[in-house]
Amino acid sequence: MTTASQEFLRAAARESANLPRRQAIRRAIDQYDAAVQRGREQFLDYEAARRKCYEIKWEALNHLDRYLEEFEQRVRARGGQVFWAERAEDARRYVVDLATARGVRTVVKSKSMVAEEIHLTPALEKLGARVFETDLGEFIVQLRNEPPFHIVTPAMHLTRADIAKLFEEKLAEAMSPAASRDDPAELVAAARRALRRAFFSAEMGITGANFLVADAGLIAITTNEGNDRLGTALPRIHVAIAGIEKVIPRLEDLAVLWPVLATAGTGQTITCYNTLIGGPRAPAEVDGPQEFHVVLLDNGRTDLLADAEQRDVLHCIRCGACLNACPVFRSIGGHAYGTTYSGPIGSVLTPHLRGLNEFQHLSYASSLCGACTTVCPVQIDLHHHLLHNRRNAVRASDRPWSERLAFRFWRWTMSGSRRFALAGWLGRATLRGVRALGLAGTTLDLLRPWTRYHAAPVIPRKSFRALWRKNGAR
Amino acid sequence: MDTARVLRRIGCAIDFPEAQTCCGQPAFNTGYWDEARPLAERFVRVFRSAEAVVCPSGSCTTMVRNCYPELLAGTALSGDANSLGQRVFEFSEFVVKVAGIRDVGAYFPHRVAVHDACHALRELRIKEEPRELLRRVRGLELVEMPASEECCGFGGTFAVKFGMISAAMGDTKAGNAEASGAEYVASTDPSCLLHIDGILRRRNSPVRTIHVASILAQTGRAKESVEIAARARSAE
Amino acid sequence: MERAENPGRERILARIHSALRASAPRHDAGEKRAIFVSVADPLERFQQQCALTSTECMLVPDAAAAAEALRTVLESIPAGEIFAQDAPLLHRIVQRAEGGRAVRWSNAGPPNEGSQATITLAECLVASHGSVLIASNGAGRAASVAAPVHIVLAGESQLVPDLASALARAKQDRLAETNSCLFLITGSSRTADIEKILVLGAHGPRRLVVIVMRDLDA
Repeated sequence: MTTASQEFLRAAARESANLPRRQAIRRAIDQYDAAVQRGREQFLDYEAARRKCYEIKWEALNHLDRYLEEFEQRVRARGGQVFWAERAEDARRYVVDLATARGVRTVVKSKSMVAEEIHLTPALEKLGARVFETDLGEFIVQLRNEPPFHIVTPAMHLTRADIAKLFEEKLAEAMSPAASRDDPAELVAAARRALRRAFFSAEMGITGANFLVADAGLIAITTNEGNDRLGTALPRIHVAIAGIEKVIPRLEDLAVLWPVLATAGTGQTITCYNTLIGGPRAPAEVDGPQEFHVVLLDNGRTDLLADAEQRDVLHCIRCGACLNACPVFRSIGGHAYGTTYSGPIGSVLTPHLRGLNEFQHLSYASSLCGACTTVCPVQIDLHHHLLHNRRNAVRASDRPWSERLAFRFWRWTMSGSRRFALAGWLGRATLRGVRALGLAGTTLDLLRPWTRYHAAPVIPRKSFRALWRKNGAR
Repeated sequence: MDTARVLRRIGCAIDFPEAQTCCGQPAFNTGYWDEARPLAERFVRVFRSAEAVVCPSGSCTTMVRNCYPELLAGTALSGDANSLGQRVFEFSEFVVKVAGIRDVGAYFPHRVAVHDACHALRELRIKEEPRELLRRVRGLELVEMPASEECCGFGGTFAVKFGMISAAMGDTKAGNAEASGAEYVASTDPSCLLHIDGILRRRNSPVRTIHVASILAQTGRAKESVEIAARARSAE
Repeated sequence: MERAENPGRERILARIHSALRASAPRHDAGEKRAIFVSVADPLERFQQQCALTSTECMLVPDAAAAAEALRTVLESIPAGEIFAQDAPLLHRIVQRAEGGRAVRWSNAGPPNEGSQATITLAECLVASHGSVLIASNGAGRAASVAAPVHIVLAGESQLVPDLASALARAKQDRLAETNSCLFLITGSSRTADIEKILVLGAHGPRRLVVIVMRDLDA
């Protein structure tokens, strides 16, 4: 068992037992579910929308080189710069070198899972720059020194009282003295006040990108708050970091992707700000950054691309729907996973980006219920890929020897009906014997992993086979 | 046994080939496809000539219908596996869609909520069939529980490997069952019922579990008593 | 950045090329089905959607009436400088509505930090979602987000039924060639990051006002 999996087991145990936290998650997700029902009403046929999004991403990924080159060419034609980063450290180095060369002291950052993935913020802070998360949820978890809890709603696990207490501690100057301390509108206003100075003084704005539009050479960013807008209007440098899989072929593809992303992400029909950026400020324009850099990140994505069976994992538009649908996520929350990407997509993706050996446990931490696959707007076969990861782990001889042995024995037992019947009889007899000897609940009790959480089952005296022979054949 | 009783009552001639063992799902779902494959091949050989195979388990049915094609692709039995997949049915699916019967003459005067087992729901698309059968059971009041489609948390070896998560999910399911006011939670899958039952009894809950077939086997004749645990187990 | 400084580029492209030699399965396309509910009456739909997204939509007959509408909006906001896009139509309208307020025009630069409101034109209005499409080469980037109130002046003739037509129009008019940015805005800035409770006016405007003139030329 690796450290990551030990950590996960500990965290999962702790979080599953945290009833108030589970209830908070449940409330947030119930609201999300209700909102999604309303958002879906804009679609005559939501399944047709999902299929269309699947088609767009399939087209993009299966011609990825062509579309990336087209995108790059158009961005460069407008005076933008494109850097292709093979690994996280290459991307980090590029941004850090740029910040150093330009004397950047303050950075405003929009939400970017890729920036999380490459741990960009600590690298910039080491330079002595101050980095401000401007998405409210990200800002909140940044103040708490913790990672985001959820791809779309980073502070989903906190109550307004938690946030009020945090702001009183860390944002005292921005809190209005008169107002009610835990009124969400007041808290938002305090964050706005605190961050507005950062926006107007920052030299660099960093964003992610939801999509890279090839035929127009534009990046597309989606927010509700408008923090991406201020962060790309005011500072003199804009750096956008995106995984190479974010590319889409055509501008018109957004006509269905934008609404679907909004509905699956928050239940809205469309998000408030959908921004398309293709370069630095154009010569005749009133304002805007002097420099525009797009960092394209590989960091294991080309390996996943090469896995034809799981290539569709790269369809992901990071909407978070699978997290919300997942009963495991609902029980343990986002932090327990211990990875940048949590929930079903995280469990499928992380072994590919960071190694199957160390992260296969996430693919096993699922009942394979399939709810994720049902809601994924780009039709990724998520739960089957969890299974595929398991199969790959076994093939790589990466499983505990005790488990391998157990299944080999199990297969032998199941390979003949007499063996099968004997094993059944032996199992039942042993379990009854353990009970009779008063050893239930001890290490000799084979059922202990089960009875830790369940009342002891009744062990039948007779097998079905025996019952059939006696009564059933009539 | 209840499955057998009900099928006979609706006029089917049934057989239980004793050569059968296991569909192979536990190994398959844990990633041990090489261990699962010989069992799949055995299953296909044992049932190859059956007109129809009925299984009181959505997860086993899913294994045969949806997973065997992938597991046995490229092997000699591939064609037989695909063909068998068309002829294997989950119990309620068989009664309603193949036999075309919704009223099996059952009597069960209790309030019942259905838990939608995941494989049955998402892989076999079974949602209405158990409900259609239960609605026609005399004396039965069918209610819906909140989040009936949410996984109960069993998931095979998941329940043992990640017991605390499995228990939390089961706990949520148990709470929803209690909230529905039902006396019984019914489902198409014995593994779900085993798990939910263990959680309910640990909570000292008044709610009990029962397989759909066991409800349908009840006809109200005096000699039949409802012995939950035994029935849930012998619903094969 | 010179190509030579980015060896990763060739290596990544080579890896992609090699990866794509294996072909991935593809779902059956199935029959083509209409995705969105159609837009029967664009103006009505636009107004409905604005109501749903808390956008204040004011429908007026002409530019003169637009000036009146603008005047009432400006009366409802605190005293202070406002910012407007440097365009002949806006000069005419704002002149009649500003009521003595200081106006900074976009040819002087972006809005000041303390602007009370910004006034811009739009490329088009999208009926299906109640959205406004704005290009950066008008009043710039900050203009549509920096102040607490953003006011858009548009003509009914600028209404298009849906996102597909808006994006097609953007492509046809080659907006991406003459602008560094295009902004699709739907409603005012908002967040639900705190207990999923909706709060308007996060970092962007708290109010979005769209004044639609039935006849632009009068």
